[in-house]
Amino acid sequence: MSRPVATSFFSPRRSLIIAQSTVTQLVRMKVFYFLAPIALLFLGLQFFDAFWYEGPEALMPEQELRMHKNLCLGTMMLFTSLFAIVSTALLIPGDIEDRTLYTILCKPVPRLDYLVGKLFGVIAVIFIAMVVMDVLLVATLHFRTEEKLIETTAYMTKIGYPEREIEAGRAEISAHGPTLLLQFGVISHFLKACVIAAVALLISTFSTSTLFTIATSVMIWIIGAFQSIARDGLFNDAEFGDVPTWADKIVGTLVSLIFPDFQLFEAISDGAARAEDVLPADMAQLAGLSVLYVGIYVVLSWFVFSDKEF
Amino acid sequence: MSDVAAVEVKNLVKDFKGPFRGGKVHAVRDVSLTIAPGEVYGLIGPNGSGKSTTMKAVLGLVAPTSGMCAIFGRNSTKVDSRSEVGFLPENPYFYKHLTGAETVKFYGRLCGMKGLELKHRVEEMLELVGLQDARDRRLKGFSKGMLQRIGLAQALVQDPKLVVLDEPTAGVDPVGSREIRDLILELKNRGVTVFLCSHLLEQVQEICDRVGIIHQGVLVNEGRLDDLISLEDKTELILENASAELMEQIRSLVEVTHGAGVISEGRARTTLESLFLKETQSKTTGVPAKSRRVSK
Repeated sequence: MSRPVATSFFSPRRSLIIAQSTVTQLVRMKVFYFLAPIALLFLGLQFFDAFWYEGPEALMPEQELRMHKNLCLGTMMLFTSLFAIVSTALLIPGDIEDRTLYTILCKPVPRLDYLVGKLFGVIAVIFIAMVVMDVLLVATLHFRTEEKLIETTAYMTKIGYPEREIEAGRAEISAHGPTLLLQFGVISHFLKACVIAAVALLISTFSTSTLFTIATSVMIWIIGAFQSIARDGLFNDAEFGDVPTWADKIVGTLVSLIFPDFQLFEAISDGAARAEDVLPADMAQLAGLSVLYVGIYVVLSWFVFSDKEF
Repeated sequence: MSDVAAVEVKNLVKDFKGPFRGGKVHAVRDVSLTIAPGEVYGLIGPNGSGKSTTMKAVLGLVAPTSGMCAIFGRNSTKVDSRSEVGFLPENPYFYKHLTGAETVKFYGRLCGMKGLELKHRVEEMLELVGLQDARDRRLKGFSKGMLQRIGLAQALVQDPKLVVLDEPTAGVDPVGSREIRDLILELKNRGVTVFLCSHLLEQVQEICDRVGIIHQGVLVNEGRLDDLISLEDKTELILENASAELMEQIRSLVEVTHGAGVISEGRARTTLESLFLKETQSKTTGVPAKSRRVSK
C-alpha cells in the first residue's frame, strides 16, 4: 500500500474528484428533469406567431425572432441563476448536517479542495444544462429564421420589392438568427450563473441553514441586478438633480465593491438579443471580470471555511 | 515499534460559546493522553462528557482553545496529519446517491489512490466488511448496520496506521457488533492503532488495552485495563466439575485462614450476548461466511 506524501494546500486532482462526485450527486438528484419543461417552452415558441405583426408590420419578422431570443435567453438566465443558488445552498450545509463532511475532511483533503470541488461540480452541471439549452435555442431559432426568410422573401417578391431590398431584408432577418453574437449572450448568462454560485458558496460557509443561504443569495442577486441603477442615482447628479454627498459616494462604492454588478452581464445578453454589435473584446473583459469575482468569492469562502469547526 | 506516539494529546482545553453573551461551555478541560502505536485505546464516559470533542480535536475538526493534539508527531490542525488516519463517526451518513463500491472508491481517491491498486482495495474492503453483495446498491437502501460497515470500509481504505472510531457499534445488532469487535481485534493484530470512543463498557473491556475515563470534560482516570479493573484484595476462582467435597474442603481452608473469607459462591455465568450469539448462530442457516469465520 502506498504511503501518502505531504499534502499541498490545494490539489486540483482532489478538487476534481469532489467536483465529479458533486456532478454525480446532482445528476442522480434528477436536476436535468428541469430541462424538459424548458425544452417544451423553446419548442412551443416555435409555433407562436405574434398576431400583432400582421399587415405591413409582417415585414418586420426580426421582431419575432428577437422576442424568441429574449424569451429563451431570459429562461436560460432564470434557470441557471436559480439552479446555481439552490444547488450550492443545498450541497455544503447538507454535507454538514449529514456529517458527510466529517468523513471527507478526516481524509487528507484541504478545505480549499472541498470548496473548489463543490463549486466546480455545480458549475459543470450548469455548463451541461447550458449546452443542452443552447443547442435547443440554436435549433429552434434556426428553423424559425429559415421559416421567416422563406415567408419574407415570398411576400416581398409578391408585392414587387426590388432584389436589392429583398437581400437587405434577408440579411436583417439572418442577423437575428443563430449567430456568434447569440453565443455571447448565452456565455454571459453562464458567467453570471458562475458568479452567483460563488456568492452562494461564500454565504453557505457561514450560514446555518439552507433557507438563509438561498434567501441571502437571491437578495444579492437582486441587488447585483439593480446596483448600477442605484449607483447612477447616487453619482449622476445631473440626471437626478441632487448633489451626491460623500456618504452617498462611500455607500455606493462599498455596494459596488461588495456586490457583483449583474447589469454588465445583462448588457451583453441584451446586445446579443437585439443583434447589436458586441465586440469580442467586451466579451473577454466580462469573462475576466467573472473570473475575478469568482476568485474573490472563493478566497473569501476559504477564509471563512478554513477556521470553521464541526 | 516507533517511538513517536500514535496519538498525543497535551493539556487539551476546548471551550465553546455558551448560550449567553460572554458565556462559555467547557467541553474539555486540560486533557492529556498518549496512545502508543499498535495499542487499542478506549475513551469512555457518559453522554456529553467530552469524548467526541476530544476525538474531533485529534482529527482537526475542532481547533483546541489551548493545548495541542498530534498524530504520529504531526500537529492535528495540519492536513498532513490525516493521511494515516481512518475515521468512522457515530451514526455515519455518506452520499446516499453512491453505491457501496462507489463510496469506498470515492474515499480511496481522496486519499490519493488510483488505478488497479484502488480497484483491488475496494473489493478487499467490501469483502472485509461483508458487503460484496451490496456493492452496487445505493446507500439510501442500506440499513444502519450496513452503513456502519461501509463506514468502516471507507475508514480503512487507505490502510491507515490509526483508526478512530466513534461509537462503532451504535445501532448495530449483536452479530454485527461482534463482527466489528473482531475486526478491531484483527486490526490490532496487524499493528494498527485504534482510538475508540464508546459508552458500551463491556465492549471496551473486551478489546481495549488501555482506557481513559472522561467525565465533565476531565480525564478522571486512565491506565491499562487490567490495572484499572482488578480489585487488589479480591481473587476470583472458577472451577470446572468441582465436587461438593472439593468445595467443602476449599471453604474449610478459607475459614481457617486469618483475614480471608468467601464473599460469594455460585455457578459461573455466560453473558447474554454470548448466549444470544450461540442461539442465533446455531439455529440460523445461511449465516454469512464472515460471521462464522470471525465469531468465536
